[in-house]
Amino acid sequence: MRDSLPLVRALREPTSVEALTGSQWSELISIARAESLIGSLAHRLQNVSVPDRVRAVLQDAIEAHDLASQQALWEADCARRALADYRGKIVLMKGTAYVAADLAAGVGRSIGDLDIMVARDDLPVVESALLDAAWEWVKPDPYDDQYYREHMHELPPMIHRERDRMIDVHHTTLPLTARPTPDAQAILDNAIALENGLYVMAAPDMLLHSVAHLFADGDLAGGLRNLWDINLLVRQFSDADEEFWMELNIRAKTHDLVRELERALRLAARLYETPVYRFSAGQTQFADYFYVRRLLARDGYGRETRKLTRFAFYVRSHWLRMPPLMLARHLWTKWRKGGTPPK
Amino acid sequence: MSLKYRAAPKDDLIWHDLDSMTLLFHRPSGITHMLAEPAPAIMEVMQDASLTAGEIASRLSAQFDIESTADAENIVLARLEELSGLGLVARVSS
Amino acid sequence: MAEMHQILLKIGPAAFRIASAWRRPLEELEALYGDYPALTDSSVDFTVRLEPKKPWRRFIRPSVHIGGDFWLPDAAPLPLAQGLLAAEMGMNLQMALGWRRHLLLHASSVEKDGKALVMTGLSGSGKSTLSAMLAERGWRFMGDEFALLDLETGDLVPFPRLISLKNKAIETMQQVVPEHRFGPEMKATPKGDIRHLIPPKAAVARMDETARPALLLFPRFGHAPELRDMGQSEVFVRLTQASTNYVALGESGFEALTRFVDQVPTKAMDYQSGEQAEALIESLWSKLP
Repeated sequence: MRDSLPLVRALREPTSVEALTGSQWSELISIARAESLIGSLAHRLQNVSVPDRVRAVLQDAIEAHDLASQQALWEADCARRALADYRGKIVLMKGTAYVAADLAAGVGRSIGDLDIMVARDDLPVVESALLDAAWEWVKPDPYDDQYYREHMHELPPMIHRERDRMIDVHHTTLPLTARPTPDAQAILDNAIALENGLYVMAAPDMLLHSVAHLFADGDLAGGLRNLWDINLLVRQFSDADEEFWMELNIRAKTHDLVRELERALRLAARLYETPVYRFSAGQTQFADYFYVRRLLARDGYGRETRKLTRFAFYVRSHWLRMPPLMLARHLWTKWRKGGTPPK
Repeated sequence: MSLKYRAAPKDDLIWHDLDSMTLLFHRPSGITHMLAEPAPAIMEVMQDASLTAGEIASRLSAQFDIESTADAENIVLARLEELSGLGLVARVSS
Repeated sequence: MAEMHQILLKIGPAAFRIASAWRRPLEELEALYGDYPALTDSSVDFTVRLEPKKPWRRFIRPSVHIGGDFWLPDAAPLPLAQGLLAAEMGMNLQMALGWRRHLLLHASSVEKDGKALVMTGLSGSGKSTLSAMLAERGWRFMGDEFALLDLETGDLVPFPRLISLKNKAIETMQQVVPEHRFGPEMKATPKGDIRHLIPPKAAVARMDETARPALLLFPRFGHAPELRDMGQSEVFVRLTQASTNYVALGESGFEALTRFVDQVPTKAMDYQSGEQAEALIESLWSKLP
């Protein structure tokens, strides 16, 4: 396999795997693992006939992800208890939110750290409550710390001393230096309460966060997974609510994410056949081609391919996050310390 | 008014006795806890009720036929706080 | 992208695809695993990748970076001459991080009369050498690195990969095993001198045959011979530390490990020579029900 297209096809159209040979299966599994989509794939293929060993691999993935999502909910509950005296809203984000809100996007999704969002003014209160409850800073590096506080959309990451789990406390969905400036207060105002007192974002905000995450966080790494989230969210939200597309368009303007939304919808429609409302997706653009190439850049051994495309996106993603001069300063500080830029 | 506590739901817990300690597997977190007395006994007498440390101490003395002393309640309270830090016991707001 | 060569291996219940930028490690693997059964179809559980970190390192001072489906961010590369070791480490890594069909214990194991002896302990305890030695003396070798416990039945499932001998153990085994069963000698690896040994034919032929765990030992080399009892709590804690997937398995791992600790008699065993160890083991084995 020369790119990740077979994975995309298997997710889109599960019966497409019935034609695979044994060695093509091995390739598909390596790609799905590398893209953190093995759990989603396993759920999609539950009713399709597959070789015995592949079935065992897929069953392993289902069980591993079941356990991971249960533990993610527990971790969210630990944060809730640690912040029991905090009166503001605690909004779950990304994978934990999908699982907590029982969305299709949560099924089989890999979940890493716990991501929560609170009001920016409340960060000091939240920070000190977490420190009291046995979370501690991951990096004692003052440069990184200052960088986070001045420019990022979150506190420096913290880790729980005993459970060894990370928490990222956000106050908005994009770095402060990024060009789009989402309206964090509007997200908090419209957040929806869960039974346990935690919150998740309202449907349009949740989707737009996923969109912001796709383009702004990193170099489109994990993009196929993020786009799969977007695909599932769009399908579920638009089926459930006729007004969804209209609200989504309004919210995209509120958050300054119209162009990003359009591109994400075009890419989702192209790769996963997401049923998108044409007005929201806009015309196909020249650059879409390069996004697709970048998203599919992985071979049958699970290796990243097309290094040049990747590098272009790495530079680009930093341009999005930081104005040019700051980028130079950031890279220089990293190089001097002998660190290497992330892949 | 004293604070009340309630043990995690029975279905969330799997108990297993070893020679000197008691293992407790907590399903929601997937964490195995290794508990020394009197923590397992405390959780056992709590059953499904919301109780204060004092009430638990008197249940313990009744069940194990030990004399209830003034410091029993303090010992129970300290263990309850540890158990609630682990999420095995919850403080109940009344 | 640079071309990759690949071979498929089946060891016990697990199937691997080993892909490498160089032929040499694969040729070595092929020679050593030549008598292992072939895969019936070519789908595998895991892919291991041996590749240069940078393209030019394929030729210039070639160094092997270990990657694959499961990987560690800080795995240091090895020189190409140690490519065989890199492949074995890559397979171990896939098992340690990715295997969920059994509870994995970092332990060696051998079998007699359907009953298994499991040996675990820190590296340097001699568990690997003891299993290799017993395998030449009437026991069936089941594995020197991982013991696989069936989650439902509690039975031990063989994982008889190549035996990895270190330092002095190489010479010890050379005295009892013919040369053709040894792999190339790798000097001064990060783990010391290493030489792989092909397990006896029976171990490979019977690699789908499970056994009932009957005795657990914590061997310790270099101390006057002695057998000691161990408390259940200590055994449980040490086995959780010796298991790479106990936490990942959740409840089924808990059930499997508590059952194992309840049912399998356990001793700590100090010894200074293979003969001493064998005598101690026989004294315990003969009294088993």
